Amino acid sequence: MSQLKRVAAIVLVLGCVTAIAAAADRIFTLQNPAAELKRLFPGAAAFSALTGDPLHFTAYTADPKTNPSAPPLGVAFWTTDLVPQEHGYHGPIHILVGMDMTGVLTGVIVTYNSEPYGYFSVEPPKFAMQFKGKKISDPFRVGGDVDAVSRASISIASATRAIRDSARMVAKQLLPEATK
Amino acid sequence: MDAAAEGWREILQPQALDLVLLAAFLALALVSFFRKSVPLKYVTFVAAVGYLGFTKSSLVSVSDVFRLTDLSVPEFKFSLAWYAFMLFVVGSTVLWGRVYCGRVCAFGALTQLMDPILPRKMRVEIPVRIEKHANLIKYGVLAGVLVYYLVTKDVAGPIRYAEPFWMFSLFGTTAMWIGLAVLLVATVFVRNLYCRFLCPVGAALGIISNLTVFRIKRWSECKTCKICERTCEWGAIRGPKIVASECVRCDDCERLYMDQQKCPHWLILYKRKGNTVVRS
Repeated sequence: MSQLKRVAAIVLVLGCVTAIAAAADRIFTLQNPAAELKRLFPGAAAFSALTGDPLHFTAYTADPKTNPSAPPLGVAFWTTDLVPQEHGYHGPIHILVGMDMTGVLTGVIVTYNSEPYGYFSVEPPKFAMQFKGKKISDPFRVGGDVDAVSRASISIASATRAIRDSARMVAKQLLPEATK
Repeated sequence: MDAAAEGWREILQPQALDLVLLAAFLALALVSFFRKSVPLKYVTFVAAVGYLGFTKSSLVSVSDVFRLTDLSVPEFKFSLAWYAFMLFVVGSTVLWGRVYCGRVCAFGALTQLMDPILPRKMRVEIPVRIEKHANLIKYGVLAGVLVYYLVTKDVAGPIRYAEPFWMFSLFGTTAMWIGLAVLLVATVFVRNLYCRFLCPVGAALGIISNLTVFRIKRWSECKTCKICERTCEWGAIRGPKIVASECVRCDDCERLYMDQQKCPHWLILYKRKGNTVVRS
């Protein structure tokens, strides 16, 4: 009986630790997505911190500290910051979206998902690639201009909606000329 | 060559964690099953609820059954964990019966975890003649949702909520949470209510389990003895027979068979051989 209790205690502690780690992964997006930002804007020389309303990173052609007049290349943002109510089958899907100043997406990167086995199983680069070059005025329709792999539709549909809606929100508030 | 290797790394890397954790979990489930160990079974339950449930929501859903009917399955190389999981579920059911229901399914594990916590007094034993009919409800549910699917071809809609498995995502409307609360409160009185009487996946696996290769051994004494029948929490033993489609391989009767102090098979053998310990 005491052995049973010990096993139970160990399982309980391990379970709590894993639960907290898993919850933290699920709630918080990557702290420092420098590599991901670089992939979205290969030509950028510097990025701002995640600030503003709505929360976003700004990509610059030159470091704004040394060259304050350097024009911004575009913005990047987390879908989970913009449309937190949008979730897949199991929970939030963390997607970093890059958009240039004219409202054209430079790419998307999925950094976290906890969807059930087989639900988000599209070729990761392929899923992300098809958003590159999309305009915010595009329809973003799964099965139309966005490929759907069967069975993944709940997760893919949610991710697509999140990208579309957050991009439109950011463009509306930060890029007034893009929405004209 | 380099490009191919790079390709495989890109394919496997995002899936590696899922594959490792799934393999570890399934190994635990099988070890607990073969060793007939009670503590390990509860460890398996906790892991099932924590990992397959709250972390991944990876339960076999009735939508998986539809997908198989029209062969619309995920792309193999990007869904290795799904294929491994399905192979285990179907394979273990053919080999041993509804092992999946008994210790892998997160919802089943959750309701079974309620069992030792809740007082025995609150349980209501359902008379066999009612139980026999109640067992059939799940086949009706399976037929109903299958017809719904074949007519509408819609899996993302209301059918998603036909099973309580959405609970592990923690996203539900107030009405859904109330429904779940009613179901769980009912489970306090009728144990494993959902699995035994309502679950369409259980029904589908129940049909497959009629093929079971390695069945639970029965002694000739089982024709008259009622100990296991009374112990079985799943109502799967009727007289000398174990009803494969209701049995989830919980090991309770098999542990009794091994108990030389309780099982009449051994007690009768002792008497004959003059109280020397014998093994079959």
